[in-house]
Amino acid sequence: MDANAAKLIGAGLAMIGAIGAGAGIGIVASGAVQAMGRNPDATGTIQTNMILGIAFAEAVAIYCLVVALLILFVF
Amino acid sequence: MTETPKQKVWGRWVVLAAFVLGLFLFTGFFGIGLAIPVVMPAVVLPTEPLTAPISTPFGEFFLSGTLVALLFADLVIIAIAIGISSAVKKGKLILTGIIGGVEALLEMLHGMTEGTAGKWTKQIFPWFATITLIVMIANWTEMLPGVETIGKLVKEEGGHYAVQAVGPFLNVVEPAEGEHGGYHLFPYVRVVSTDLNFTVALALVAVVMIQYFGVKSQGANYFSKFWATGTLFSKPIFGVIDFGVGLLEIVSEFSKVLSFAFRLFGNIFAGSVLLFVIGSLVPVFAQSIFYLLEFFVGAIQAFVFGLLAMTFMAQATQGHGGEHHEEAHA
Repeated sequence: MDANAAKLIGAGLAMIGAIGAGAGIGIVASGAVQAMGRNPDATGTIQTNMILGIAFAEAVAIYCLVVALLILFVF
Repeated sequence: MTETPKQKVWGRWVVLAAFVLGLFLFTGFFGIGLAIPVVMPAVVLPTEPLTAPISTPFGEFFLSGTLVALLFADLVIIAIAIGISSAVKKGKLILTGIIGGVEALLEMLHGMTEGTAGKWTKQIFPWFATITLIVMIANWTEMLPGVETIGKLVKEEGGHYAVQAVGPFLNVVEPAEGEHGGYHLFPYVRVVSTDLNFTVALALVAVVMIQYFGVKSQGANYFSKFWATGTLFSKPIFGVIDFGVGLLEIVSEFSKVLSFAFRLFGNIFAGSVLLFVIGSLVPVFAQSIFYLLEFFVGAIQAFVFGLLAMTFMAQATQGHGGEHHEEAHA
C-alpha cells in the first residue's frame, strides 16, 4: 500500500471520533428542548448552558477533525 | 426592514442575472455556455506569505493573507464603533439597521454576563464582547467573494496548479499532474481563523486573563486551587485526592488553550474546505445553501469562544467553593 492511500484511510479512521460528539450533542439538545418545554420561562438560561454543553461535546469532534486535517495536509 | 418594494424587485433581477451568468460560464447551457471547468482549490494548512520575510531578532515576519483579513475585520469594527458613537451623539433613542443589530447583540451579551459574573460584570464584559465581535466579523469575511480564491500565482516546485497564460490578466488553471513544475496560489485575503497563529494567540489572551481575574478577585488564595495543600495533612486520604485534583487543574488550564484554539480553527477551516468542495462539485447555486450554514457556524463559534472565556473568568472570580467540572471537557 502506498503512503497516500494509508494517509486517506488514516484520516477517515480519525473521524470515527465524531460519532461520540454527534450522540453527545443530540443528548444535550434533547434535554434542553425538554427542559424548555416544561419551563418556557427559563429558556434563556437553558439556551446558554445548552450552547456551553454543545461546545464541550463538539470539542472532541474538532480534535478528530484537526487530527484528520493534520494527517491529510501536514504529514 | 426599511427596504422599499422597488429595491426588492431590483435585487431579484440581480440574483437572476448572476444565476444565468453562472449557468452560462460553468455549464453547457443549451449549447451556448462556455462550460469552464471548475478547479478544486488546493487545501493548504499553513498560511502563505505575500511578501518576502523580514528578519528581526524575534524571528521572521511576513505579511500573510490572514493578516490582511484581520486588518479588514478591524476596519469594519472601527467603522461600526464610529457609526454607533455618532448615532448616540445625535441623540437617537432607537438605533436602526446594522447599528441597531450590534446594540441588540451587545445587550444580549451584557445580560448574559450579568447573569453569570455578577459584580464582576463591568470588568469581564469588555473581554466577552471584544472576543465575540472580532471573531464574528473575522469569520464572516469567509463569505465575501474572492476571499481565498483571488491571489498571486507563484511558480514553485511541487505547486498545485498548471497554468496557461491566455491574456495579460486571464489564465486558465488546471490541477497540476505529476511532480514537476506547477504554481502555488497565495490568496491576498484568507479568513484569519484558518491561521493557527490567530486562534492560539486569542486563546492565550483569554486564558491569561482568566488567571488575572482569579488573582485579582482572590489574591494569592487563587493558587490554592492548583497547589491544594490545605487539607493534605488534616484529612489523610481526601487530602491527597484534593492535591491530585489540584494538579489536574493545572493540566486543565493548559488544555483550555488547546481546546479554545482548535475549536475555532477546526470549525472555520473545515467550513472553508467544505465551501471549496461544494463549489467545485456544483459550481452554480449549491454553494449558497452552505454559505447560510457557514454564516451560522461563524456566528456560533464566535459566540462560543466569548461565552466560554466569560464563564471561565466568572468561575475564577468565584473562589474555591465552585464545582470542579472544568476538567470534564479537557
